[in-house]
Amino acid sequence: MSAPPLLEVDHLVMNYVTEKGDVSAVEDVSFTLHQGEALGLVGESGCGKTSIAMSLLRLQAENAVFKSGEIRLNGENLLALPEDEMRRHRWKDIAMVFQGAMNAWNPVYRVGDQIREALDLHFRPRLSDAEATERISRLFEMVGLNPAMANRYPHEFSGGMRQRAVIAMALSCDPSIIIADEPTTALDVIVQDQILQELKKIQRELGMAIIYISHDIAVIAEVTDTIGIMYAGKLVELGPTVEVFARPKHPYAYLLLSSTPSVTGPRRKLAPLEGEPPNLLNPPTGCRFHPRCPFATERCSIEEPPMETIADGHRVACWNWREVPVSIAQEARP
Amino acid sequence: MTEPLVKVDRLTKLFPVSRGMFRRPVDFIHAVDGVSFEIAPGESLGLVGESGCGKTTTGRLLVKLMEATSGQILMHDDGSMIDVAHIGSDDLRRFRRRVQMIFQDPYESMNPRRTVFDTVSEPLAVQNIGSLREREDRVAQMLQLVGLTPPNTFLFRYPHELSGGQRQRVAIARALVLDPSFVVADEPTSMLDVSIRISIMELMLELADAFDVSYLYITHDLAVARYMCDRIAVMYLGKIVELGDTEEVLSNPLHPYTRALLSAVPVPDPTYRKPPVEIKGGITKAINPPTECRFIERCPWATDVCHSTEHPPLEDKGGGHFVACHLVEKGAG
Repeated sequence: MSAPPLLEVDHLVMNYVTEKGDVSAVEDVSFTLHQGEALGLVGESGCGKTSIAMSLLRLQAENAVFKSGEIRLNGENLLALPEDEMRRHRWKDIAMVFQGAMNAWNPVYRVGDQIREALDLHFRPRLSDAEATERISRLFEMVGLNPAMANRYPHEFSGGMRQRAVIAMALSCDPSIIIADEPTTALDVIVQDQILQELKKIQRELGMAIIYISHDIAVIAEVTDTIGIMYAGKLVELGPTVEVFARPKHPYAYLLLSSTPSVTGPRRKLAPLEGEPPNLLNPPTGCRFHPRCPFATERCSIEEPPMETIADGHRVACWNWREVPVSIAQEARP
Repeated sequence: MTEPLVKVDRLTKLFPVSRGMFRRPVDFIHAVDGVSFEIAPGESLGLVGESGCGKTTTGRLLVKLMEATSGQILMHDDGSMIDVAHIGSDDLRRFRRRVQMIFQDPYESMNPRRTVFDTVSEPLAVQNIGSLREREDRVAQMLQLVGLTPPNTFLFRYPHELSGGQRQRVAIARALVLDPSFVVADEPTSMLDVSIRISIMELMLELADAFDVSYLYITHDLAVARYMCDRIAVMYLGKIVELGDTEEVLSNPLHPYTRALLSAVPVPDPTYRKPPVEIKGGITKAINPPTECRFIERCPWATDVCHSTEHPPLEDKGGGHFVACHLVEKGAG
């Protein structure tokens, strides 16, 4: 991709200041997002994926402090903008489908009216009533809802329908980027599948860029072109989704993929990851994964591995990535 | 199959829906509706389905945390079968030695003011087993088995000092401390992170062998069920619609709902091309459901037979592959 990236996250470092000390939530994370690209950030709770999502919109928690790094949207550093200018970008350039957003609808207003509010805030010149209604109808059709539902109240929607309406709202101001943070986590599999297919279709049709954030590596496999794997505040591997799934190079990525059960393929023995993620008040020295890493050497506990480019668009932060087996374990369960 | 450990026959649980304070309830949620299955000693049966399908209610009925509206649960115990619905108070204590439960949320299922020792030893105390000294030894031994080592560093910790994975290990130790023959595990790993999840699943498999215990493993996740269970039963609106050996059901799903569920499951392989999901809409509520097939509203293949007859019985379509569908031929299993 030779076009300049839409979004660049450049050596971002973010801490949460707490009574017990600073929590190192995002540590030196860099990635880019191009137009039309679907990027997935995957990792366990506390790995920093939601912190990054919130930072992109500058909606981070009050005790968050950006230590260094930049987030550039079309070359403009969002972290340096005054709040009122940031507000212009929010929703209009970058929209977000929050985790559990389907429960964020105000129960006493019609769903269409709540979307209208977003349109009124961001559309200049303001849309007329007829234009707004027309637009909301088109948005509803796009996400697979009956346009007549716009006149209904949130309680008349099922969970899946409410989440579709959230997506319609996120699309309402033609953003160039959508951040979808666990967009289907609370939903049943069949509804989850419907919504993911819908998002994929919309993204393709509108040429939008999407950042999916999920703990579910199977969901990320289905909807993204590029995957970033996070561990304890660090981005440890970034590359084309197909490539990373076929040949994960970071030991954590390798173990994560080896420990994901699937309904397809041979029934294989899953390799448990020993131990638990570290406390980020006091992260391990060197590589943050070294205490749990079966490939760790002495160097790993002393020196932090840099992100190294190992193939076109495939980067890994590990001293010993060459030691990681070529593909994930296929051994059948005894 | 040898003599079953658990035999469930036409188990039904209806919840009345109140329409007003002084009115007699006329509407009922058919949470579990005529469910029958058997579990062999040492076997693990997976109960899968979406939220609201009745899988948790079934589990709770089996451990007698709820009373069934009708139907029978028989449990094998020292050569005789106990009828779980008609257990007297003496037998209830004996029943609790044989049957235990592991809950979904390790943050909610443990008393925050009691130590790990209190929690794990409580069943021993209730059953009047052993002296304090012996209970301490037994609890330490259990903690060792569930991987909380060295045990003496965990014995006097409180739940808030433990991670989610460690709490679930304590819950497993508590469930197995009486050496039960049957454990109902309700989504025991769904609250845990992936890297922790597999170690808990592996632990449960190991202990099933070591303790010769049968599981009813309740989960919404077919991939987890595949890993944990010998057979699986798929539930839809209070009914079992398909039941059989895990690999058989997953490789040869016969009920339209099972097929839809399977094609909707995300697969951790970006090169995999999923078949499209053929059904529409979301799960409906089980309030006064129609007498014909429960799945009829969402089924793309429903014919006149489906509309004119009652909900199809769960029938063996060959090789112990049971399906409740008018359109599946005998011998398809």
